[in-house]
Amino acid sequence: MTDRGLASTQPGKFWVCPECDLLMNRRAIPHQHEAHCPRCQSLIVSSKRHSIEWTLALGIAGLILFFPANLFPILTLTTLGLSQSETIFMSVTALYDSHLYAVSALVLMSAIVVPLMKLLLMTYLSGCLLFHKPAPLLSWAMRSYQQLDSWGMLEIYMLGILVSIVKLVDVADVTPGIGLYSLTGLIIVTLLTSTQLDRHRFWRRIEQLERR
Amino acid sequence: MQHSALTRGIIICHCCEKPASIKQDGQTCPRCGTHIHRRKRHSIAYTWALLLASMIMLIPANLLPIMTFKSLGKGDPATIMQGVLQLLEHDMLGIALVVLTASIIIPVLKVVGLIILLLTVQLGWTTNMRQKMLMYHFVEWIGRWSMLDIFVVAILAAIVQLGSLASVTGNTGATAFAAAVIFTMLAANCFDTRLIWDKHLEKLEVFP
Repeated sequence: MTDRGLASTQPGKFWVCPECDLLMNRRAIPHQHEAHCPRCQSLIVSSKRHSIEWTLALGIAGLILFFPANLFPILTLTTLGLSQSETIFMSVTALYDSHLYAVSALVLMSAIVVPLMKLLLMTYLSGCLLFHKPAPLLSWAMRSYQQLDSWGMLEIYMLGILVSIVKLVDVADVTPGIGLYSLTGLIIVTLLTSTQLDRHRFWRRIEQLERR
Repeated sequence: MQHSALTRGIIICHCCEKPASIKQDGQTCPRCGTHIHRRKRHSIAYTWALLLASMIMLIPANLLPIMTFKSLGKGDPATIMQGVLQLLEHDMLGIALVVLTASIIIPVLKVVGLIILLLTVQLGWTTNMRQKMLMYHFVEWIGRWSMLDIFVVAILAAIVQLGSLASVTGNTGATAFAAAVIFTMLAANCFDTRLIWDKHLEKLEVFP
């Protein structure tokens, strides 16, 4: 067992599958290729071309779309001359008015706060990495992004909108607003960000910047 | 030849996946500043606790009404299942199936899946490992989609506010349901999949 000593003195020369703990020799991954664990098939590295540039561009696009998606009505309901519009924040206040305080806080977090935080963190982080600016809180930003990742639920909110439209078809006329189109764009941007993000490259760049 | 990194003296950071020597177990990661542990700490106990909590919350979530749809002054509070049945009455089979899947089938499947994974680790089962990994990834990915019903209640409560003509309010079942979903998501996060493979690797390395 000669590699035992080697492995523990040079941990950087190896890859470890985060899902099944398989030890592998580290090797270079060409752009646009993925490395999967030979044993459990989990994704180990996904190398993207221009990952940092893409993330910055998508982050800025997301921030631009975030405001119309939240300020303009998503749906408008009209029946017998009465009409009512809805924004994401109004669904939070409606739950609050129904005395469901915990649930309204959860919707506020998962549909407004977390998506905004994710966009801000990614724009800040990829901006600093792109211009090689050693800035404070870089590793904190990346860590927070990873932790927040699964708590942003805009795509599920979107499915909720579709279910609501179908439920209301019999009751009244439902018309989509500018908010709905912006929200669709925002969801596409968010999904693209998570596919274009090369986590390993981001962490390596953060390490280089913080060492200076 | 397959080796477990742990038996070769290597551990990795949970957060940034930087490899480290086993001597750094319990110290902070030099790259991201989180504590490095060889395995997620108390993974089995935390997962069981959160899973039990979500199983308990699923009972009120299904028995209590989640919303009241009032039209021209008529309408009673409805539970999740009654909501699905109402959709069926209006001949909306597709959407009824979506709601049924997201709100009833997925939460139950998630609980069953996590119980199987926990028993796998605790009883040392070493068969069908890849299927179990697939099951874990499925449970982890699908968990958030159960929030669908909560968002539907939120959207309807916001938009259907036409005074006495039609109105929607949320009811306490929604809190229980949201709690059940959150607990299963946290339970899946606490589970360390490497524990499934540890036994398997022990056998491989003892009998190469």
